Amino acid sequence: MPEWIEAFLRSISLLIIIFVIAKFIGKRQLSQLTAFEFMIGIIIAVIAAELTLGGVSFVSGFVGLSVWFLIPFLITWLALKSKAIHDFVRGKGTVFIKDGKIMEDNLKKESFTSDDLLQRLRSKNIFQAADVEFAVLEPDGEINVLPKRENQPITPKDVAATVAPIKEPQTVIMDGDIMKEPLATAGLSVNWLHTELEKQGVTIENVYLGQVDNFGQLTLDLFDDKLQVPSPQEKPALLATLKKCQADMEMFALSTENQEAKQMYTKNSQKLQTAIDKMEPLLKS
Amino acid sequence: MTVASQVKQSLASLKGVQTSLSSLSTRTQSEEAKKTFQEGIELIDQVKKDLINRVGELEREEEQYKGI
Repeated sequence: MPEWIEAFLRSISLLIIIFVIAKFIGKRQLSQLTAFEFMIGIIIAVIAAELTLGGVSFVSGFVGLSVWFLIPFLITWLALKSKAIHDFVRGKGTVFIKDGKIMEDNLKKESFTSDDLLQRLRSKNIFQAADVEFAVLEPDGEINVLPKRENQPITPKDVAATVAPIKEPQTVIMDGDIMKEPLATAGLSVNWLHTELEKQGVTIENVYLGQVDNFGQLTLDLFDDKLQVPSPQEKPALLATLKKCQADMEMFALSTENQEAKQMYTKNSQKLQTAIDKMEPLLKS
Repeated sequence: MTVASQVKQSLASLKGVQTSLSSLSTRTQSEEAKKTFQEGIELIDQVKKDLINRVGELEREEEQYKGI
């Protein structure tokens, strides 16, 4: 067999093997690998490279590859089953800051200098160590920080505000093509989409991206960036009309002289106000 | 504009709001939002009933402006 054919066959078969191994390792990102897993990855790559170039015989190379792949795979599987093995293999996090106090001994154990710690905190947008309540070095080398309560970003919960529930938007048009499956997930039909496009006055060919939010409102991005697409106005208009009706009730209540009607109008203006209060968070956005 | 026609106008607006709300509630994916919309529709329903009664009374008072 000529040398080049052999090299070609070796390369192709290794390409397939490596692809399968990579598939098996799964979706875990490179950055989340422990040092051990990182080294295993390099060793597998080196063995594969050696095999391609014919530095070692195919059989011994293949055995090496299997050992370096199967045993770590087995360890990962065992780690899934048992917490003790998991802790032993993947390691445990090291607490760097607790109750707002830096644990110098733990820093030393992980060979972190104060500069290193400050740098990692800065990358988390914290420039003052005193702002941190709790920080931990994860087994994959990442530092995760819990800022003190007063330094945490404010959330709707903090201000006791009611907000509209949110669901993931569905992308229904891509590059001018209708995506049938997401459309069905949103519970909408192709007909609905055509009507909606007609309402906004655009043709489907001109749409680069179209998404439906959880209220069934369609937002578009066009190929022709000179055209302005109106943002959905349905909900704000609805809220405005509802508020107008409520104001009307109040006005009628003031202007009528019939006591019974006055009471009826006042009662209904209150009812509409409750309806507005209930739905305003939903209709605002 | 007579009082009756003003009330009729509000009634028409309310009907419009109600239809938009029910269309929103059918299209909404989240159950929570659906429930809130339904509650709103019910409240508006009660208001609508009172208004229809009131329009009837007003029309009896202002016979010459009879509309609906």
